[in-house]
This record gives sequence, structure tokens and C-alpha cells, in this order.
Amino acid sequence: MIKTWELDPNFKEEIMNERGGEHLTACFQCSTCTIGCPITEYVPSYNPRKIIQMSLLGMRKEVLSNPDLWVCLICQTCTARCPQDVQISDLLGAIRRIAEKEAEAGNIKIDSSRPIFDKAFQHQLEKYGRLYDIGLAKEYYPKREGSFFKGMMAMMKDYKDFGMRMFKKGKMGPKAMFPEKVKDLAVMKKIFGEMGEK
Amino acid sequence: MGIAVIGGGVAGITAALDLANSGYKVYLVEKNAELGGKMAELSECQMGLSPYIAKVSNHPNIELMLSSELESLSGSAGNFKLKASGKEIDAESVVLAPGYDVFDEIAKSYGFGSPDVVPSLDFEGILKTVTAGDSGKLVRPSDGKQVKRIGFIKCVGSRCQENEICSTACCAYTAKEVWDIKERFPDIDVYVFYMDVRVFGKDEELVADLKDKYGVHYIRSRTPEVIPEGDTLTVKFENLEKGTIDKLKLDMVVLAVGLQPSKTLGRLAEITGVNTDKYGYIETGITSPIETSVPGIFACGTATAPMKVRESVGLASGAALKAAVLSQRTEPIPGQEDRKYIEVGDAPPKIGVIICDCEGEVGQTVDIPAVAERVKGVKGVELVNSETKTMKEAMSAIEGGIVDEGLNRIVFAGCSPREYEDVVRDACANAGLNPYLLEFVNLREQCAWVHDKAEATDVAGNTLRMAIERAKYLDEIPIVRYPVTPKALVIGGGVSGMTAALGIADTGYEVYLVENEPELGGGLRDFTELQSGEKASDVLTGLVDKVKSNERITVYTNAKEEDVRGRAGSFKARIVGDGTDEEIEFGACVIATGAREFVPEGYLGYGSDNKVVTLSEFRKAGKSDAGTIAFVQDMGPNEGVVNSKSTSIEVVDSALKVKEKNPDANVFVLYQDIKTYGKWEAIYKDAREKGVIFLRYDKKKQPEFSNGILSVFDVIFNDEVQIKPDQIVLSTPMMPADANERLSKMFNIPLKNGFFMEAQERPKMVLTPVDTINEGVFICGSAVYPAMIDECIAMSTAAASRANVLLAKNFLETPAVSAVVDDLICVGCGVCVDVCPVEAIALTEETVPVVTFGVATVVGGLKKVAKVGDGCIGCGSCASYCPSSAMSLKYFKDKQLYAQLDYAF
Amino acid sequence: MSVTKLAYYPGCPSDATAIDQDMSTKAVFEKLGVELVEVEDWNCCGAAEVEDPELVYALNARNLAIAEKEGLDIVTPCSICYYNLERSNIALKADDKLRAKVKGIDSSLDYNGKINAKHVLDVFVNDIGLEELSSKISKKLNLKVAPYYGCYLGRPPETAFDDPDDPDLMDKLIELMGGEIVPFSQMKSLCCGGPLMMTRSDIAFEMARKILDTAKSAGADCIALACPLCGMMLDGKQADIEKALHVEIDMPVVYITQLLGLALGIDAKELGLDKNAVDTKELLGKVV
Ligand SMILES: Cc1cc2nc3c(=O)[nH]c(=O)nc-3n(C[C@H](O)[C@H](O)[C@H](O)COP(=O)(O)OP(=O)(O)OC[C@H]3O[C@@H](n4cnc5c(N)ncnc54)[C@H](O)[C@@H]3O)c2cc1C
Ligand code: SF4
Ligand code: SF4
Ligand code: SF4
Ligand code: SF4
Repeated sequence: MIKTWELDPNFKEEIMNERGGEHLTACFQCSTCTIGCPITEYVPSYNPRKIIQMSLLGMRKEVLSNPDLWVCLICQTCTARCPQDVQISDLLGAIRRIAEKEAEAGNIKIDSSRPIFDKAFQHQLEKYGRLYDIGLAKEYYPKREGSFFKGMMAMMKDYKDFGMRMFKKGKMGPKAMFPEKVKDLAVMKKIFGEMGEK
Repeated sequence: MGIAVIGGGVAGITAALDLANSGYKVYLVEKNAELGGKMAELSECQMGLSPYIAKVSNHPNIELMLSSELESLSGSAGNFKLKASGKEIDAESVVLAPGYDVFDEIAKSYGFGSPDVVPSLDFEGILKTVTAGDSGKLVRPSDGKQVKRIGFIKCVGSRCQENEICSTACCAYTAKEVWDIKERFPDIDVYVFYMDVRVFGKDEELVADLKDKYGVHYIRSRTPEVIPEGDTLTVKFENLEKGTIDKLKLDMVVLAVGLQPSKTLGRLAEITGVNTDKYGYIETGITSPIETSVPGIFACGTATAPMKVRESVGLASGAALKAAVLSQRTEPIPGQEDRKYIEVGDAPPKIGVIICDCEGEVGQTVDIPAVAERVKGVKGVELVNSETKTMKEAMSAIEGGIVDEGLNRIVFAGCSPREYEDVVRDACANAGLNPYLLEFVNLREQCAWVHDKAEATDVAGNTLRMAIERAKYLDEIPIVRYPVTPKALVIGGGVSGMTAALGIADTGYEVYLVENEPELGGGLRDFTELQSGEKASDVLTGLVDKVKSNERITVYTNAKEEDVRGRAGSFKARIVGDGTDEEIEFGACVIATGAREFVPEGYLGYGSDNKVVTLSEFRKAGKSDAGTIAFVQDMGPNEGVVNSKSTSIEVVDSALKVKEKNPDANVFVLYQDIKTYGKWEAIYKDAREKGVIFLRYDKKKQPEFSNGILSVFDVIFNDEVQIKPDQIVLSTPMMPADANERLSKMFNIPLKNGFFMEAQERPKMVLTPVDTINEGVFICGSAVYPAMIDECIAMSTAAASRANVLLAKNFLETPAVSAVVDDLICVGCGVCVDVCPVEAIALTEETVPVVTFGVATVVGGLKKVAKVGDGCIGCGSCASYCPSSAMSLKYFKDKQLYAQLDYAF
Repeated sequence: MSVTKLAYYPGCPSDATAIDQDMSTKAVFEKLGVELVEVEDWNCCGAAEVEDPELVYALNARNLAIAEKEGLDIVTPCSICYYNLERSNIALKADDKLRAKVKGIDSSLDYNGKINAKHVLDVFVNDIGLEELSSKISKKLNLKVAPYYGCYLGRPPETAFDDPDDPDLMDKLIELMGGEIVPFSQMKSLCCGGPLMMTRSDIAFEMARKILDTAKSAGADCIALACPLCGMMLDGKQADIEKALHVEIDMPVVYITQLLGLALGIDAKELGLDKNAVDTKELLGKVV
């Protein structure tokens, strides 16, 4: 049972003020997005339509701490088909960013390593202007696992075979051990400084 | 000059006929080689439309311009110059009816490309062959296997980015298609995937039946995916109750594709200068649904918005009226010329047999020369003509035969009498032969279309021979003409009644307008603002002023009509009110009694809790300070009441306006189906975007309100949602006007749920939405079904047009085929009195003389005898029920029928 | 031929996991007589991990601005780079305020909306054209190919250049080269799972396996694709998938540029065909 007076009626505006979330209220709950979403086959609880409905009703807490937010593939199938141009893919991104901020503020706990990964990825860009795979892994795994040691173990597990395979094929030569840097790094700092999450 | 009608679909045809039949010259411009538009492609409609096409094609006042397109237009109202395919037309006014095209950018995700995934227009074609053919099976286009499970996906190409609005017709036509299937093949499983079921009135009952009685599965899911795999189609949908994505294997899928403005419309708008709206339709207004932005140019049908046939022809008749008002009658009205008939009497029959090929339809299976051989030389047959190919040729053969050869009976054999009987009778009458000395044989539907060659030829010969025998015994039936009273009575002084009255007055006739309230205005007086933003009071004052200042309109308020007598063209009644009791005469009547809101006493505490108000109370108040407000749509009894077509529009519009005035308000709408049809879909979107929250409930689990908490089980959420509203606004069903019962009896027009029924009830369409079974009496506005103001105005303008067609005539003929009673044989049992549908028979006391039959003597004296009155419509019920064979029908006398049967056996 | 010179945006994996794609792209364009000028000092497009649209616009404005200075349209072989470049291009072209805001960050982001962003597949089929290509093709691919398009070529609609549900540009190209398309339509544009590889590899592996399995049971000799992330998932991780899910797949996965290179008669080594994780030698035997 949902008691609407206990919910946050401003949640929809909060989402709509976040970039990508602008079209939230256009949704008419038609199920197109959910039916076509490839993730539902693997995560049966996953339902973007329902996430939108909960958001519209103002179920802020439930939405932001929903672990399903983090399995979206950003594959755009839903966005391409939505009859109301809700741009669900971007919309979910907006909700995820609100969730990240809330988690940083300690208000909720996110049950997914995806925010850690995304952050780590962005840090590479900020630092080097391009993706530095090893740097990314070195930041992501320890944070995900909670300690440097455990992180290194996890990384080894994922990368042992893969790394060798890539190395043998000449795709992870010594060159890849070091970051490929953009020369104008100052501009990268500025971009993240001004456009990034405040 | 005349009127140019652009587009020969059902709308264009209707407008052209109304105009031509009331004495205007019409140029009908159609870009295709044939008339009929989309309706001709629909499975059941084609047959309904063909009589109209036949009339247009043979109408002396219509200049038909097929395969031609409008090239230019100049001038202004009263004096347009048009050019179509090189030909110049001068016209006083123009009616645009270029229709629609179906959505054709169907996404591949629907499995489109697989032969078993068919758009609905193609499916209509399939249904047509299933109905016509003898296979009697619904099979898959791909492999001819019988269909066991079929799915319908709605809103394909509607209510989406490519076509923002709702196509209005597809929910209803899908229901009809499903019904067709279930009636014929009860074992086929049918699934319908939908978002909202947007049907109204009788279609609502149909859908309820489909769900409950026929076991059709209506599934609330806008599925985007049909996956063709092997020989099945897998449809994915969201099972809201279980919270799962389910798959269903089907044999065939029908895509209910939407309607879009005709592709030619853009250019037509450019040529004519009319404005189009943002969806590409011709722009009209909610209080001016027929007028375009250019004076003198009117629009109708699906060129103005997506709609069904009923609404298309309503607008079309309305457009005809508007065009007529600007134009001069220049043409004679067919059938009104003076006619002298040759006296036939007992002269020996000189029969002319005309066998027509019906443009190849007959000759393709029937061996016409062989049939002609069979009847040549038959006693009484003077002439056999088997050379005619078209109705035009047949008509001149008939006229020539009568005038030159002195024929006194005609047997016509060709296509269907449903389409051509009137036309052929007219040909006889024109040549001076009593039109009832004609016998009509249907060689098309009854021979050519249903038999193989040899059989068809044989059957054709036999029926023709039988007809010849019957023809020998046909008598002249006196044609009685009576003058038409060029006045009309309009009952009801609301928007519809006033619009109808003004329309009729504008075409030059006097109108009596009767309203039983002290003031004109009706339901609109309760509104503050229309959806268009127009002030209701402005609209109303405008109308009332026009009515009151119109010299041709006499207004009676606080009055009602009584004691109606007579028939089309010549009615009498009394108008009784404060201080008046006046006898009036009129030729036509328009009933516009409107509807009123159901009082939802007891629903959600209405009546005891002042938080709960009805929608009209809410709208009358004009504002609300509620912080949390819940609109509840579709509450109320389901049986025996009618939901207004405007319900959702009013609810959504009101909710939206609350949000606009007070963005901080929490606004909820509880609904079963949001029915913002057509362009109104835009306000639904607007309301969502402004933050109105929509909660969908099921009929079986109605919302409840107690202790200040409104609980609703949201079927999409699959959970109960509770609200603490400061105000609850109930939109309730509509109730018929109190007067309807009385009027129904007085005019012999049946009611359905208290609302008036139109004349033609075909499952797929209503082609005469304002005509009733009582000729000369028309219905319009919410008296027919509660609807939006634009539809009421369109309907009442249409009623005015239909009245104009009638009043334009100088005289009418009493129905020739009517019942006659043989006083001598009648035993006064009164069976006929009971079976007569129009109460035309009464028992009277009469003195009969002493009569002897051979040796038996029947004692004369006072006895009861049936008497047939003026109202008889010639249905024949009495003749078939009469136990003593005293009742018979002219033209269907026993001797005529026996002669026909004698030949057969 | 209308195109003669393009700005080339290789994308981050171009010198590591997708070096084969980079090599083949350069080789093919050279053979076709189109000069590629690498975007000077390009930066990452933001991939799928930068979700804030405006941040993406700013990142890509810089690359677009650099290409614009050269007066060249920009082309990339990577689907996600294409998506980010093109959506930024559209947003920046349409919105003066956004352009001003982005320019305000740094003058090097001063992009005036004068160029187009393209994916190589689009350039091959729609700009160069099948007719032109066919005149240059010297070898026939006797291969059964499963064309895999992934996410960003057919959707979202504003950046798409192929059908969202049934894309066919690659099909056309493959058929032109003499290849045969195996029944694969349900997989063509299904996501490969790549975006979840690092955080939910269980799901990602299952998704990739479904695509690989379908290609295999359809009898394909190889999968052709046009995105390094899909390549990483289907090719680079194929052995890991086999191991984790206890299956044997062994399905060669090649870039469409590699196939086109072969048809144009370019040496396999030059196309990096020795660098694909799943061995491609068998394929080479079928190029005649
Ligand atoms: C699959 C399907 C099933 C339907 N089923 C039903 C049903 O069961 N019941 C129902 O009530 N409604 C139904 N409808 C809706 C119905 O078809 C329309 O309401 C009706 O046909 C509209 O008629 P119209 O005259 O406005 O348009 P149209 O039928 O489109 O006629 C327009 C005519 O104008 C001509 N024209 C166009 N442009 C020009 C030009 N520039 N110059 C000259 N001529 C031009 C066209 O050739 C055409 O003949 C259905 C619709 C579809 C798609
Ligand atoms: S497809 Fe769009 S409108 Fe439909 S439920 Fe999803 S977000 Fe809402
Ligand atoms: S973008 Fe996310 S929600 Fe949308 S279809 Fe892909 S996985 Fe599902
Ligand atoms: S809701 Fe509207 S567009 Fe959708 S099927 Fe019904 S009538 Fe057509
Ligand atoms: S023919 Fe019909 S209408 Fe006429 S009197 Fe008999 S029953 Fe009545």
C-alpha cells in the first residue's frame, strides 16, 4: 500500500531539473520500454516503466536505493521506441546521478559497484584526457573490494587470462602500460571543473 | 453557379447528395478513378456505401469529375473560380473532403514484413474475402493454415512521436473486427493489446460483451515487439498483475494502424489558402467545426481530424448546409417535376424486358444472350433488350421503350435493387409509366456472384421468367402528392437546438423553437469556460441573440409540444405553454433535447460529505483552493447509463487547469480509460507534463473514500494507492432528458438507454447519424449521445441540412406500397394493431351490409374492422400476421405472388 | 566520389584492444583514396561512463572544434564515439546558449557547428557508395557472415543512420563483397552486454553468449561488427565467456573494416587480422 502523503511530490521536479531527466512526466505508462528492454530477461525485477511510475508518485527513497538502476545497459532500445520521447536511457542516468549524490552525502547506500566504476573512469579522463585502462582498474578494484589487497586479487582474477590473451595478440604491449595523455590537460581539468558534478 | 466538393469519400458523397437533392449544382472532384474513398476498402462498409455511389453517379445535379485534382482556386465566397484537371468551375462555395491516409511508417519491431503481420486496412480486405468466399475460414496469408490465435495491436502509429494524436477510429474498428471474428469463428482465441479502450456509447457495450461474453483477452500493454520465429509470431507484453514480461505465441497479428492527414492535403491547403493545424489537418474551431479559415470554404470528414464514418458524414451534411446558405438553388429537384401517367387499366400487358450487364458484373458469369433467348417470345413480352452495359444506357432503353413502343410493364434485370431500385422507378415515371408497373430482378448478388457459369445462367433465366409472370398482374398504384409545409419545429433550445434552428432559418424556412425551461441556453449555461478558452457565456449570448433577432424563428419558452400528427412534409402539433396553446404546421422536426448529469448520490460520500462534488459543480464554481484534489472518472452505475464522449476531455482539462493555476497542488485523476480521442490527446500529454498524476483502476475494484482517505487499487502499479484529498471531483455518466420518453412515443422513434436512436443501425457504421425511422424527424446533439460541443454543433448543422433537403421539395408522395384491408373479410381480431411498428392501424366500429356467399348468408350489422391510417410505412407485418387474409399490401398482392410462384413449381 | 579527406577520430581503444580496427580502418581508407587526418591531440568522448549530457557535449566540442579548424568532417570507427560525437554535434548546432556555455569553459572548445560527424559504415555505404566500392573490390568473400550492429547505429533516432530494428547497411556491404548473410535478424541490434562487463559480468557474459551462440547455430563463419566495445566483448572476452559458462564457441569476430580490406585486396596482416583474439586464419582461406 502506498500512502501518497508520506511521499515526496517534488521528486519529479528534482529529476526533471537534472540533465537528461527533463521528459519524465511525458510518460503514459505504456510498457513499451520495459517490454523491449534486454535486461529484463536477466533481471526479472527490472522495469524502467515502474521506476518512472514510482518517480512520478514521489517514491524518492525507494527509487534512489533501487539496485536495478545500475544494471541499465544504456542501450537506447527504450529511448528509440518510447512513443512519448521520455528518453528513458538519459532519464535513468539523471536518476543515477541523484542517487550518487545522495550516496555521497551518506543518505542512502547503493548496492552496486557501477558508480565506483563510472567515477574511476571519469577520473582517468580528468587526469589524462583519454582512457587509461590500467589506471582505471587500479582505482576501481580496490574501491569495489574495500581494500587495496582484495582489489588486486579481484583484478588478477578478471585480467589474468584476458591480459595474457591481449598481450599475445599485441593489443596490450608495453605501450598500454602507460597512460596515453592529451597534451592540453589543463582543458580537461576545466571541462570537468565546470561541467562535472558539483 | 454551384458548389465544388473536393474528395469523393463518404464525406464528399454525403455533402454532394445533400446539396444536389436540395436543388444545388454540385461539382464533385475526386482524384481517384472511383468514388468511395477508404470506406470502399472496409469489409462491411462497401455494401452500405454503394447505393450512395449509385445515386451520385446518376444524379442530374452532380457533375462528377473523376481522376481529377484541384489545380487552382481564386476569388472569394460567393464567387470562386476553380480549375480541376484543366476544367474551369465557377462556384459560390467549396467543401473540402480529401480524407485521410493510413500511417505507413510501421516499425520493423512489430514483425512487419512477415506476411502474417497485417495492417488493419489489409485485414479488412481479408475479412471481406472471408465473408464473401465460400471457404469460410480465416487463414494465415503465409501458408494458408487456419488461424487459431490472433492478436490485435492498437495505437500503431498513433499517440506516438510520429503521430502525436489519437486516431479515434481504431479502437472501435478493432472491436468490430474482433466481433466479426468471434461471431464467425468462436474457437479462435483473440488477444487485444491496448492502452486505453477509446470507444463510446454502443461500442462500449460491444467491448464489454467481447470481454465478458466472447472471452476476448484485452491486455493493457503497448507492445512494441512481435518476433516471427518459424511459423509462429511471438508477442511480448507486460503482465501487470504478475509483474512479468510474458510471451504469447500467435498465428497472426493485426496492426491497428492510425489515421493521418491525406498526403494531398498539404497541396490542397496551399491552393485553397485554408489553414492547417500543427498535425496537418484542416484547422477548424470547437464552436465552428465546419468553417475553415477562408470564408466560403468548408471542411468535413477525416480531413479535419481522425474520426469514424458517423462523425465524418455528420460534418459532411453540416458542410452542405453551410455551403448551401452561400449559394443559389438553380437546379430542379429530381422527382418534383409534373408527371402525367399513361392510363393502363385493363389493357393487355405489353412487357419490356431490359437485361443490363451492370458494367460487366453480370456478364462475367451469366450468359446474357442465352437468358435473353429464353424470354423472347414469352406471351406478353413485347421487347427484350440485352444490350445495355450501364445504368445510364438501361435508363434510356426503358424510357425509349415506354415512349416509343408503348410498353406498359417493365421487367428490369441487372444489379442490386438496393442500389438502383429508385433510379429505375424514376426512369419509368419520367417516361410516364406508373413506377409500380416495374418488376426488378437482381442478377448480380443473386446469380452472378453466387453461382458458377452454367448455374448462374439457369437461375437467371428462371427468376426472369418468374418475374415476367408476376409483372403481368401488376396494377397501377395511384401516386398521391401532398404539399410540403416549408416550416420546421425544433424541440430544445440548447446549443444544438439553436444551431439547428439558425441553420434551417438560414436556408429560408420558418422555424418554431420550443424550450421547456424559461430561458434558452440548456446545459452550456452551467459552464464557465470551454476547452478552447472561449467563455461559455460569450458563445451562448451570441447564439441566443442571433436566434432572438432572426425573423424566421419564433421562440416559445416554458412551453412544450403536444399532439403531434401527420407525416414527413406535413406535420401538425400543438404548442402548449404559459398562456399559449397554438396549433402549428410544419414539414420537418429536429429533436435536440440534450442530456443531464447523473446525480451520484452516495458515491464516495457525495451528498453527505461536502468535499465531494460533481464535475459540473466543480466547473461552475470555477476555482478550487484544494491542496490535494482527486478527480474520479468513470464512477457510477455501469448498466443503463451512457458516458459522455466528453468525460475524459472535461476531466483532464479541469485537472490541467487546476495545475496551471496552482502548480503546487497535488492533482490526481482516477480513471478506467482516458478517452482523450483525436487531437484532445494533446491535453492529456499537457496534463501529465504539468504534473497531474493518473491512477488507473478496474471496474471490479472501485475507489473507496472513508475517514478522509481515498483508496484506489492502481492496476498498473498493481498496488493500492491512498490519497488524502481536500476535494474529490466526480465525473458521472449522463442521463437522457425527461422529455425523451414522451417524444419517443409521440414521434415513434425508439430509444436506447433513454437516448434517441438513428435510423440506420449497421454494425460497422452509421451513415445517417441524424435521421430517424420516422422520415422528416431528425435528432441531434446530446439527445443522441452526450458529446463535446463541436460534435453537437456539427450534428445539429447536419440536422438542419437534412431538414433543408426535405423542405426544399414542393410536395411529397404518400408511400405507394401500403396496407389495404378488405372490410368484408376482416374479423376485427386486432392482431394487426399489435404487430404494426408505427401504430398505423386502429380498430373501428363499422356497419357492414348483409352479404350472401352462395348459399351462406353472413349477417351484416355492426362489427369491428381494422383501418389503416396515414402513417403506414408498408412494412407488411400486418399482412403476414392477419389470420383471415383480410390485410394485404399493394404491390405484393396474393395474385401477383402466386403468378410468380406458379411458374416456379 | 564526393569524399576525399576526413578528420579521423580513432577513440581510446585504438592503440590497444582495438588496434586491429584502427589498422584496418586506415588501410581501407587509404586504398579507397580517402585521406584520413587524425584529430590533433583528441580526447576521450566520454564513452558510456560519462552520463551527464552536458559533460559529454563539452568533451566532444573540443574534438569537433579541432576537426572544424581543418575544415573536415569527422569520422570514427567506434559506435559509441560516433554516438557521443553526433549527439554533441546536434545539441551544439541547435543551441546557441549551449555553444556559448561550452566555449566559456575554454576557447579551444569554440565549435561553430560547421561539420558533420560520421561513422565509417555510414561513409562506406552512403557517402562513397556501393557502386564505387564494387568497382574497387577485387576479391570475393566466400564467407557466411553474421552481421552484428549493436546499439548505436540504429538508435537512438536522432543520431541513427540505420533502421533501429532491422539495420542493413552492413548486410549490403557484405553481400557486395560476395559474403552470405546468415539468419541473424533478432540479434543484429541487441546489446552485447559490454556496458556491464566490469560491474555485472555475469549478465554481460550471458548476453554476449546469446549473440555468439546464435551466430554459431546459424552456421556463420564469423561475426562482423563495427564497434570496438562490441569487439572487446564478443572477441576479446570470448574465451572468458567459454570458461565461465562452460561452453565452447570458437566464433571468429572481425571488424567490417577488416572484411572490406580483404575484399579490396589488402594484406591480412596490414588489416590486423592476426590480432583478433579468436583465430581468423580459417576465414582467410575463403577469400578468393
Ligand atoms: C482499417 C480501418 C477500419 C475502419 N473501420 C471503420 C468502421 O468500422 N466504422 C467507422 O465508422 N469508421 C471506420 N474507419 C474510419 C473510416 O474509414 C473513415 O471515418 C471514413 O472513411 C472517412 O471518410 P472521408 O470521406 O472523410 O475520407 P476518405 O475515405 O479518405 O475519402 C477522401 C477522398 O478524397 C479523395 N481526395 C483526396 N485528396 C483529394 C484531392 N486533392 N482532390 C480530389 N480528391 C481527393 C480521396 O481519393 C478519397 O476518395 C476505419 C478506418 C480504417 C483505417
Ligand atoms: S515507453 Fe515511454 S511512455 Fe511508455 S512506459 Fe516507457 S517511458 Fe513511459
Ligand atoms: S537503455 Fe537501459 S532501460 Fe533502456 S532498454 Fe537498454 S537496458 Fe533497458
Ligand atoms: S487509443 Fe486512439 S489511437 Fe489508440 S487504438 Fe484507440 S482510437 Fe486508435
Ligand atoms: S404495412 Fe406495416 S406499417 Fe402498414 S399498417 Fe401494416 S403493419 Fe402497419
